[in-house]
Amino acid sequence: MKKQAIGLAALLLLGTAATTSAQTVSFAEAGAVIARSCGPSIERFCSKVNIGNGQVRQCLQQHQDQVPSACIMDYDRVTASIAKRLQAQQGAFKVCNASIREYCPGVKFGDANVLDCLLTARKVVGASCKQALLDAGWQ
Amino acid sequence: MRQTTRLAARLARGAAVAAVLACPLTLEARAQTNLNNAQILQGLTQATDDEPAITARILRQMAQQAVANNVPLTTDKSTIAQKLDNLAQITVQIQFALNSAIIRPESYATIGSIADALHHPILVGYRFLVVGNTDATGSRKHNLELSQQRADAIVEALATVYGVAPARLEAAGLGQEALQTPNDPTNPVNRRVQIFNIGRQ
Repeated sequence: MKKQAIGLAALLLLGTAATTSAQTVSFAEAGAVIARSCGPSIERFCSKVNIGNGQVRQCLQQHQDQVPSACIMDYDRVTASIAKRLQAQQGAFKVCNASIREYCPGVKFGDANVLDCLLTARKVVGASCKQALLDAGWQ
Repeated sequence: MRQTTRLAARLARGAAVAAVLACPLTLEARAQTNLNNAQILQGLTQATDDEPAITARILRQMAQQAVANNVPLTTDKSTIAQKLDNLAQITVQIQFALNSAIIRPESYATIGSIADALHHPILVGYRFLVVGNTDATGSRKHNLELSQQRADAIVEALATVYGVAPARLEAAGLGQEALQTPNDPTNPVNRRVQIFNIGRQ
């Protein structure tokens, strides 16, 4: 039994290492998480402020004694994810530069041409490029 | 998503006119349901090669003049309305607090979906017009102001929460001046937000 458990753990670990997964969530999912985790608190304490310009986050902070800590944590987690995804989107083509030169020579930027090409070649593009596209939410 | 991207790109490049003509009809039919990311991306992608010069300022002026002169906004006849109809567009419902421009949490994900599309490489070089509409409950003047505030709130959320460059976004409120169901003006279906692709940056 013990051997089996170790084997399973090793297999899972191997699976994690071999499969790349996005380290960011979509902007839609980010909004959904805030709504799910903080919706009741926002309706109760922050119904007079909008989400833009950090007003809701600031309001939740002002009521932190009454707001579940999971809400604040989730809010900050998705805010970090949004920042990371924006950063990934901004830098994706730079990270993929070598793959673009190798697999997409002559493909012009615009209308997602380069992205289409990289996705077509996704089995062979570099690991860092693959990860950048995943984190950008484009794969 | 990838297939949608390719489809959208093909439509944008190859069959722009047909796609643009077909797009408002198909998406209008779904206007009051939740669009998924692929539908948003597809709806906003099919830009024509000669996007008309539509700006929020022009739309606002038209609506304000119509309300001030107590005449209908002739969106069905005006050239600008015809041009608007021909733009790649989507219609979504955003939930606001009653009589206010406060976006309710249940709509944060919808605005996030719009941001997902606007950040996609196929749309990243384009500008967008966010248009707010109300139903005909209340005064025209109040509805005009409220819809402008609501459109502004959406633009603010897109820019400051989801990092869409403010230079790519414009906001206009049309109040009750462009009803989706003119024969049923108080129908809640008229409370809607339209996003138009208004051309390259």
